[in-house]
Amino acid sequence: MPEIWIYSEDTNVAEQLLTVGRELADKLIQPLCAVTIFADDAQGLIASGADKVIVLKGDNPWPECYATPIATLVAQQSPVALIIGGTLRGKDLAAKVAARLKTGLVTDAFAIRVENGAIETDRMMYGGLAVCTEILSGIGMITVPPRIYEAPVKDTSRSGEIKTSEVVVETSMTVGNVCPIIRQGADITIADKLVCVGRGLGKQEDMQIATDLAMALGAEMACTRSVAEDYHWLPNESYIGLSGQRVKPSLYLSMGVSGQVQHVAGIRDSKIIVAIDTNENAPIFAVADYGIVGDLYQIVPLLTEAIKK
Amino acid sequence: MPNIIACYKWVLDEQDIKINPGNQALDTSRAKSKISEYDRNALEEAVLQATKCGATVASLTFGNSTAKKSLKDALSRGPEKAYWVNDAVADTADGFVTATVLAAALQKIDEYDVIMFGEGAADTYGQQVGPRVATLLGIPAITFVTEMSIVGNQVTATRKIGDCTEVTTAQFPVVITVLPEINKPRIPSLKQVLGASKKPVTEWKTGDLGLTPEDLVPKNKIKSIKGFVMSRKNVLYKEGTPAENVASLVASLTKEGLL
Repeated sequence: MPEIWIYSEDTNVAEQLLTVGRELADKLIQPLCAVTIFADDAQGLIASGADKVIVLKGDNPWPECYATPIATLVAQQSPVALIIGGTLRGKDLAAKVAARLKTGLVTDAFAIRVENGAIETDRMMYGGLAVCTEILSGIGMITVPPRIYEAPVKDTSRSGEIKTSEVVVETSMTVGNVCPIIRQGADITIADKLVCVGRGLGKQEDMQIATDLAMALGAEMACTRSVAEDYHWLPNESYIGLSGQRVKPSLYLSMGVSGQVQHVAGIRDSKIIVAIDTNENAPIFAVADYGIVGDLYQIVPLLTEAIKK
Repeated sequence: MPNIIACYKWVLDEQDIKINPGNQALDTSRAKSKISEYDRNALEEAVLQATKCGATVASLTFGNSTAKKSLKDALSRGPEKAYWVNDAVADTADGFVTATVLAAALQKIDEYDVIMFGEGAADTYGQQVGPRVATLLGIPAITFVTEMSIVGNQVTATRKIGDCTEVTTAQFPVVITVLPEINKPRIPSLKQVLGASKKPVTEWKTGDLGLTPEDLVPKNKIKSIKGFVMSRKNVLYKEGTPAENVASLVASLTKEGLL
C-alpha cells in the first residue's frame, strides 16, 4: 500500500518521526501510519499526526524481538517508506528488518525529502567529513536519530483508525538485569550551554578551570572521546562525537580540543561554537564562530572572571 | 573448542581525505587505508575471549584487491588465520551487499560459534552489517556490547543501549557487536607483526560463494558524496594580549545574547 510508516520503541521519538512522516505523506499524498508495541500510546500517536496506528501485541516486552513481526507486516503491506527511530534498540531492529526484506537501510538520516517523486536522504560519512545523498528504492528504510525533528503539537480532536495485530514473538535470547544508567553529570544532549574539554588540558586537576568557567556560564561539562575513554576524567556519557553524544546547545565552548572530524560531527548543530586552543591551525577553528588562539591556562581564568562581572 | 570469527572492514583513513573547495568533491587520491577502528575492538575482544575459553580465532574481511594489505595487520592482532573475500564490488557495496557476502562466506567457513563485529564501520558508520548477518544466518545478534563472557556454548553479554544496560544471553552460534569501550586494541609488537606473515590466508572471490548477480547490487542509489561545509563566522582573536582577546570574545558573546 502506498503509505508512509514510522516506528519507534520510544514513543517520544515516534512522535518526532511523525513530523517528518507528515511532510512526506503530504508531499506524496499518502496516509501516515504509526506502528507501535504500546497500545496505550496509540491515541497519542493519532493526536500527533498519524492517520492510522497498528499496535503489535505480543507477549515479550523486549523491543528488539519485534523485528520479525514488523518485517512480516511490511512485506504484506509494502509501505513506500519505513522510518525507524534511531535509538540503539531501533537501529538493531531496523537492520534485522532490512535483512529480512532484502532492502537498503539508511542509518542516521538527518534530512529526508521528496525529489522527483522519490525519497532522498542525507547522512554523514567518513566521520562527519562528508554528506552522502541517496535516492531510495523499494521499501525505503531509514533510521532517524532522536531529536532531529521536534514532535508536533498534539491535536486531540484528530481521529484515526487503530488496528491491533496479535503477533508471535520468538527469541532465542534471554534478557535480564536491566539497569538504568545513572548519569553522573547532566544530560548534555539537552544542555543549553556546554564547556568541552579536550586533551589540551594537561592533567585532571586542571579540570577545575573548566568547571569554574562552566559555573560562571551556567553550562554543563562535556569532553572529547579520549578524555572520557582514555583518561576517565568525565563519564563516558559526557563525550561528544560520532559514536558519543550529539549535542545542539546554543553555546558550545571548547578548550584544548583539536577538532577531529568525529568530534565535530557531534557539535555541528550547535548555534554558536567557540574554541580556545594554542594551535592556530587546529581544525576546530575552521568550524568555530569565535576563537581565541592562546594558552588556555591564561585565557580561561580571565574569561571566567570577565563573565562573572 | 569454539570458533570465533572477527569481521573487519578495510576503510580509507578519513584523516587523509581532502575536500576540493570548489565543488566539495572528495579527493581520496592520497588516502591510505586502515582497519576500521571499531573493528579493531572486535578483533581484540575475539582474541581476549579466545585466550580465556581456548577458542580459535579467524578474521574475515570483504574488500577490493588493496585489502590484501590488511591481512598482515589483522593477523598481527592475534587471529590464527584469515579469510578474505577479494572483489572490486566491495567498493560499491552497501549494508545489504556486505552482509550477504559475509553471510555466504561464513556459511562456506561452516564452523562458527561467535561472530564478532565493531558497532559500525569508520567510513559509512551504517551500524547494520552485524545484525543483518545474524538475520541471514538465522542466529541471534547481541548488539552494542560493553562486556562479555563465554561459558560452555553460551555467551553472556552486557549491552549498553542509551539510558540503560541489560544482560543478554544466547547459545552458539551468535553474532556480537561491540562498543569501543569494551577494550583497548593492542598495538602489535614486532614479533606479532613478523609472525603474522606466516599465518594462513584463504582468499575467495564472490563467485566462489554461490551468490547471484542481484546479491551484489546495492539497493539505494548514491546521488552524491560531498564534503560537509559548515558555514561559521570564523572570527579569530589572536593578535592582542590574552586580556584583550578575552574582552573581544566577551563582547561577541554578549552581542549574540549568550551572556
